[in-house]
Amino acid sequence: MSDLKLAYWPGCVSRGFTPELHGSMAQVAERLGIELVTLDRANCCGAGVIAEHNTELADTLNARTFALAQSTGLAMMNICSTCQGAQSECQQRLDADSAYRAHINEALAEEGLEYAKDKPGFENKNFLWVLVEDYGLDQLKAKVTRPVAGLRVGPFYGCYIIRPRHRIGYEDHPERDLYLERVIETLGGEVVEYDGARKCCGFPVITMNRETSLRQAGTHIGDALDAGADCLVTPCPLCHLNLDMQQPEAEKITGRELGLAVLHLPQLVGLALGFEPADLGMGKHIASTEWVEARLAGGVPV
Amino acid sequence: MPDYTLKVRRYQPESGEGAYWQEFKVDLDPDLSVLDGLLQVRDREDGSLVVRCSCRAAICGSCGMKINGRSTLGCKTQIAEAHEQANRRNGGTEPIVVEPMANMPVIKDLVTDMESTHWTKIRRVTPWLLPEGDPPEREYVVPPESMIDITQSMACIQCGACVSSCLSLEVDPEFIGPAALAKAYRFVGDPRDAEARGRLYDLAQDPHGIYDCTHCFSCVDACPKDVAPMDQIMRLRRIAGDDHDIDDVNNGRRHESAFTKIIEKKGTLDESLLLQESYAQGVKGKLIPTPGAIKGLVGSLPTAVRGLRTGKMRSLAKLIPGVHEKLPGDAQEHVQRIYTHAEEHREELNLYISGEEELEPEPDEAETPTPEAAIEPEPDEEGGR
Amino acid sequence: MPRHDVLVIGAGLAGQRAALAAAEEGVSVGIVSKVHPVRSHSNAAQGGINAALQEGDSWESHAFDTVKGSDYLGDQDAIEIMCREAPEEILHLEHLGVTFHRNDEGRLGTRAFGGASQARTYYVADITGQAIMHVLYEQLMKHSELISRYEEYFTTGLVLDDDGNCAGAVMRNVSDGTMELFEAENVILATGGNGQVWQPTTNALICTGDGIAMAYRVGAPLMDMEMIQYHPTTLAKKGFLITEGARGEGALLLNAKGERFMETYAPNKMELASRDVVSRAEQTEINEGRGFPDGTVALDITVVPRKRIHEALREIVLVGRDFAGVDITREPIRIKPGNHYAMGGVKTDVNGATSIPGLYAAGEAACVSVHGGNRLGANSLLDTLIFGRRAGQHSATRAKQIEAGRPSSAALADEERRIAELIGRDRGKGRRASEVRKELGEAMDQHVAVFRDAEGIKTALETVKRLQEESRSAYIDDLGAVFNQDVLGAIELGFMLDCAECSCVAALHRTESRGAQYRTDFPERNDEEWLKHIDLTRDSDGPEISYSPVTITQWQPMERTY
Repeated sequence: MSDLKLAYWPGCVSRGFTPELHGSMAQVAERLGIELVTLDRANCCGAGVIAEHNTELADTLNARTFALAQSTGLAMMNICSTCQGAQSECQQRLDADSAYRAHINEALAEEGLEYAKDKPGFENKNFLWVLVEDYGLDQLKAKVTRPVAGLRVGPFYGCYIIRPRHRIGYEDHPERDLYLERVIETLGGEVVEYDGARKCCGFPVITMNRETSLRQAGTHIGDALDAGADCLVTPCPLCHLNLDMQQPEAEKITGRELGLAVLHLPQLVGLALGFEPADLGMGKHIASTEWVEARLAGGVPV
Repeated sequence: MPDYTLKVRRYQPESGEGAYWQEFKVDLDPDLSVLDGLLQVRDREDGSLVVRCSCRAAICGSCGMKINGRSTLGCKTQIAEAHEQANRRNGGTEPIVVEPMANMPVIKDLVTDMESTHWTKIRRVTPWLLPEGDPPEREYVVPPESMIDITQSMACIQCGACVSSCLSLEVDPEFIGPAALAKAYRFVGDPRDAEARGRLYDLAQDPHGIYDCTHCFSCVDACPKDVAPMDQIMRLRRIAGDDHDIDDVNNGRRHESAFTKIIEKKGTLDESLLLQESYAQGVKGKLIPTPGAIKGLVGSLPTAVRGLRTGKMRSLAKLIPGVHEKLPGDAQEHVQRIYTHAEEHREELNLYISGEEELEPEPDEAETPTPEAAIEPEPDEEGGR
Repeated sequence: MPRHDVLVIGAGLAGQRAALAAAEEGVSVGIVSKVHPVRSHSNAAQGGINAALQEGDSWESHAFDTVKGSDYLGDQDAIEIMCREAPEEILHLEHLGVTFHRNDEGRLGTRAFGGASQARTYYVADITGQAIMHVLYEQLMKHSELISRYEEYFTTGLVLDDDGNCAGAVMRNVSDGTMELFEAENVILATGGNGQVWQPTTNALICTGDGIAMAYRVGAPLMDMEMIQYHPTTLAKKGFLITEGARGEGALLLNAKGERFMETYAPNKMELASRDVVSRAEQTEINEGRGFPDGTVALDITVVPRKRIHEALREIVLVGRDFAGVDITREPIRIKPGNHYAMGGVKTDVNGATSIPGLYAAGEAACVSVHGGNRLGANSLLDTLIFGRRAGQHSATRAKQIEAGRPSSAALADEERRIAELIGRDRGKGRRASEVRKELGEAMDQHVAVFRDAEGIKTALETVKRLQEESRSAYIDDLGAVFNQDVLGAIELGFMLDCAECSCVAALHRTESRGAQYRTDFPERNDEEWLKHIDLTRDSDGPEISYSPVTITQWQPMERTY
């Protein structure tokens, strides 16, 4: 039994357009023995968009989330690359300057909150990082009851969890940009190498330059298909929106038939832990996951 | 000296052949650079291997290239580091992969055509100062921080690494791109320039301008001089939308202000409301939606309907803008107070100017001489040599 | 065939400034560069640019510091012009958009530099050269209807008309190998220095003395060629520069015992004595066993407040981190004197004119001479801008007054033949051109460096002569036309060997110690015999020596201490 207990920030999208992510995370955490204390009062990370408007506002909003997490005495976990990136960016500014931090904390005082720099035990990590660094791949492997053997999985990280290099913590964890491959292998899957694994899904400009956005999504999906992928897996629900929900639109832009399942990271873990696709909300996806299910059931020749 | 293998993407246009890979062994101290390795090949083995290079010290910007898939400078990448990087996944025998920069045509070997890609875009942003009227008799008096701030963009050496790494350019060759937009910030952020608004309007309205950046940080990682082009693009957006109130046809500003307002009202993101507000603030508010906005809204409908069909959006309610719940209890009020506080100050902490505290503890001796104080009076012209 | 009233060769600071100044006079201007202009080596000037602009300073004080720094070999009329015109030039640059450092009042602020009696160095962090050059390039783009840019065009030689006037140059378009004759009423050489003659050097790979050698080959005299500056703070292995600005901000020089050795050599100015003095002090410490085993001493920047390093020495933080693996904010960095700057070059008057009508030179390629035996830090950017502008203006005025002759098209055919011969050489017979270059650099750094004597210089000269011979049969690999860097390298090698020969001959001839020329066999300065310039003019078998007087206006030579 794991003794991991974490303050949990599910983000907005996992409770909005990708409810299957939130649902599968809850089930997977329970089966892994990770106790999650949901930060239900916490607010949106701003996704870099609020910072575009006013960096102080973005910093204060995230300082509030950190402070809520710190008040539990636990480390914090998110399940979204974009949350990870936007929050780390704010945290860097908050940690860089004590006068600035004091100014930001003024705005939190009324709620009885304070963000403290370097508070022992406090960290903000994506589920992917928690899985590899804190839970451990050995322990994960031990929990696997139904290896996703034969499943050819293309990793798709999402920009914010691997860039910019100076903010990702590579000094202490130099292999953070290889974790998805590690997890796929641990779960029994086969890693598919393709061009798009560390590229941008295009989501941030979907409302501003639809063509650029969908061409990115469509190109990466096409590359993964060409490399023989059965599905993609991503730790970012925003990537999921562009790769899965917009996939039919990406087909139109790229003029190519696609049809590649895109799994949330907890879903892939959940499959290996023995959950059924339906338990994990895979039926809610736009790009059909039938192929994945058939592959796992041994119905498709490898 | 250790041996390293360089696997170089070569192209010799006069041979009539296409591009091909060639491996070279070099023996080099580990702290020398990939460029040093290429120069060793050129000097000892094959003088026809071409690579632009000059200073070898990351200041002239000639040797932009891709090393193990990353856009960078050849002179700035230590060969031992590159070797380690090439072998992170597959053990110790993989060669260091060297390619010409991406997003530009290749002329020969590692030499690319930067004129048609990079420099054309630089000229696109009117890359010179446009002050108002005649210059003052002495210097322009400006805040010292403003000069440090734009010196970050001025530090750009036009090497093209960011252009090569840009994921928007990869799908939209017309994107003005990270280098040119960072250059644009250098003028927008310069208090001596009188045309900031005109520049911003131009770059906001262009479909390949500031709102065509996908915020992927590739350029930030690629830049060898810490220019952080994407950060400058985000600041252009902030200044265009919020300081100059430029309502662009690309819905960039609307998207940003809709997002910001929704969080103020709801605390977390209501995606349906975001779609509606980004594309067509006029539906509920007083603005009249632009034709582009209506087109965008209509364009997003099939996606929404598909989501409804699979049950992705759990209920019809999810699709109705505004149904999304607020934060529990008094949490939403506290979020709103944060808005009041932050919108009043709008402090922009610029780490390029201020540095990071924990990296900057002052040395123990408080009595370090200031530059001026370090000057001694001129000694008399006597005494020994 | 391109034809211009003024053709500028080289597009660093001197070249770009010259082109802009000439264009302002309304003449047709072309600017040619073998690399893209922003790759030019003016980029590497880190620390700043001198001008007596603030209250309490005077151009006379700046001029005196320069004269003294030159060890009285600088021509004082030229120095006066440079120092008088400096403030206006700084303001001009500021108005064009250079992001100079400001003081708390938002006005131009200064830092201290070596050999200067006042803090009069204006700067942009430690990327001053880059910042100025990119701003000038902005202006070149702005004025593209007045100034034609030929980027990545390599000049192979100058062309005179029948009357001996300079009338153009032969170019090789690097990207496709085509050769062209460029006609011009005036040619300004702004091709920079020749640091690549020495290995290691702070200079870029492109600094091969092209203009100096091309002028010499058509009969223009060279001057002060023995005066080669070794910069006190360069990285041991690669020769990269650590700005004097570091010492200007308060950094200390320490030997292996941790002693601040400059107390012995320059008790007043300490680390901020002039460069020749500091380099000799370091080399003495190293030679006498008080350096580190790798032949270095230490530069301790940790004494500079971290905030100030972050603001003013960013580039050095990167250089330390990327090229020496040292965090300069936390530990001292190992440095030694390294080849840095040629005080000498093509002899010109104060307008940049050489002895050949229509041929001008400016910047490091030229010798006006404002630097004499030793250049002060932060005077080189100033030199390029002041004399670049003057050459641009003067040549434009000349263009309006004279009717140019036509260069003979035979020149083009000659150059084409020369290159065809080079490419067609038998690869089995001679040495690789790159080997010859390497041997040259090592010999020069060994014998014509901080300390010199007759025996060493003779050894170097003999080596140079042998290498000149070998270079005539040296072969290359690339036989193509497109972007053939190999053939350009072989042509550059020829330029470098000419420069090397001249430096050896002049260094051997000057039997005294002055500025950067320190002869262990003649350790004293000898004003009686040697207060004069050595001029070298090409003869059939090498440089012919003559002299020109040093111009003295108001500062009589005195003994020099710091």
